[in-house]
Amino acid sequence: MDAEKKRISHKTLSKSFNIWFWGALTCFSQEHMQTFGYLCSMLPIIKELYPNDNETQTNNIKAYTAFFNTNPMLGSVIIGAIASLEEARANGENIDSQTINDMRAGLMGPIAGIGDSLIDGTLIPILLGIALGMSRNGSPVGAIFYIIVWDLIAYFGQRFLYFRGYKLGDKAVGFLVGKQGKAVRRAISIVGGMVVGGVLATWVNVTTSLQLRDNTGHVFLDLQKQLDGIFPGILTVIVTLFCWWLMSKKHVSAIWTMIILIGVAFVGVVLGVFNPGLKY
Amino acid sequence: MTISWLQAAILGVFACLCSNSCMAGQAVGNYTIGRPLVGGLVCGIVLGNLPLGIACGVATQLVYIALVTPGGTVAADVRAISYIGIPLAMVAISSRGLNPMGSAAANMAKSLATLVGTVGSVLFYAVAFMNLIWQAFGWKDIEKGKLNRLYGVDFSWPWLSHLVFSFLPTLLMTHYGAEAVTALKTALPMNGIPMKTLFTVGAMLPCVGIAILLRQIINKAIDFIPFLVGFTLAASLHLNLVAVTVISLLFAVIMYEIEMAKGSGNSNASYASSNGNAVDDDEDEEDI
Repeated sequence: MDAEKKRISHKTLSKSFNIWFWGALTCFSQEHMQTFGYLCSMLPIIKELYPNDNETQTNNIKAYTAFFNTNPMLGSVIIGAIASLEEARANGENIDSQTINDMRAGLMGPIAGIGDSLIDGTLIPILLGIALGMSRNGSPVGAIFYIIVWDLIAYFGQRFLYFRGYKLGDKAVGFLVGKQGKAVRRAISIVGGMVVGGVLATWVNVTTSLQLRDNTGHVFLDLQKQLDGIFPGILTVIVTLFCWWLMSKKHVSAIWTMIILIGVAFVGVVLGVFNPGLKY
Repeated sequence: MTISWLQAAILGVFACLCSNSCMAGQAVGNYTIGRPLVGGLVCGIVLGNLPLGIACGVATQLVYIALVTPGGTVAADVRAISYIGIPLAMVAISSRGLNPMGSAAANMAKSLATLVGTVGSVLFYAVAFMNLIWQAFGWKDIEKGKLNRLYGVDFSWPWLSHLVFSFLPTLLMTHYGAEAVTALKTALPMNGIPMKTLFTVGAMLPCVGIAILLRQIINKAIDFIPFLVGFTLAASLHLNLVAVTVISLLFAVIMYEIEMAKGSGNSNASYASSNGNAVDDDEDEEDI
């Protein structure tokens, strides 16, 4: 081992990040998921730390053949942190493949959970909600807005997380699993819940066309008006909660939930409860 | 409206780029090109009717506003929704002469794209299955120490999986499906029960998408409160989404401070309950 400390160059870290950004899921299979994206993004780092030493390279890369799957956005912090572990190992610190695998296995679950609720559950619905409003009249502005804003956030956000992970090593993600992490997750879940409620109210509108008339043709019961008098949009909430109840309490799959909705809609149309009011 | 071989082929390439295990990367592929809103833009440009494409994209996006794929299980496939479902919906809407901005067109797009997207999830599993072949190459390359070949395993070989299960299905289904959809127009009149059901379901489908998301957020009954507050702000007070988000941030800050302030001594307990244990969480709700 050299007396001089080995350092991974910025260029190599960039390359490793870009492989993760573009290739995290390209060779996806149910069995190994993101393993090959993980393998490939560690490859430039291994090659720089152990130049011209195919045997060590091959041995060390085997640590990365373990199953890997997490939220690919927040997951870049794990790749960065593991790059710094690999650097420490090349400098003779007491780190073996087992240490690296333990860290990977300990992080990918929490990161996946936080990432899915923060990114898929909060950030993207907000961005899409804004974009949908801009595109409401058939204008492409909303779609272009989403493309630009989301991709800038995704690229630079992930890049930031990667280098943050590299700089802080295993400490980078420590706050995610401790007390502070729990507080942050509770706080995010509030934002997520309220945004989802807002999205539902803004964009979804289930209405009934049921009207009861007396014999002069005068409407004496307009169910939709009555319902909105109780709580605006109550029917939309009821249908949503019904779907939620089916899926989380009765463990019905999403596909079967949709089929049940088709049944509900069919019965409703036949009984005259639902009428989309179509004509040519 | 018909879809030519060339147009179908362009849609096929986009399908390869965006489908999960996407050739354009996760953020750009699945999360950008794959979103129905962006798919609507692309389909609108390719088929030469931008407003109609966007209108279908907006309608379909609502169903999939919260498309999460926890642990690689999919309820719907983005390539099928955005690059097979939306083009077919565009053909169906224009062949029936519906107003593209109307709710009938939107519900038509939702129903058709969701149907295609749900059936299309079989493509997702097919690509993932075929990738096992390239991964087997990869394990051999590691045994032999030919590490550079791993780049090929991750970036080149999967194109073959997509050629078979993304490009070809999109090419064939958009080209021939357009004719079938037009023929269906005479078979199923608009004021018949099947079409009325289809359109009613279209209006309800976004509820499933939202419910999938709720399943992630809600662990116990009390978690419904933030959701209902957000709904009320938008439905009763007519606040837009950014305003709802800003208000929710205030509650988030308060919640964070409460969590950080309480029980400074029991860091072990809070660590243990970080997986969503109910015991510790019950105390939080009384603090609200």
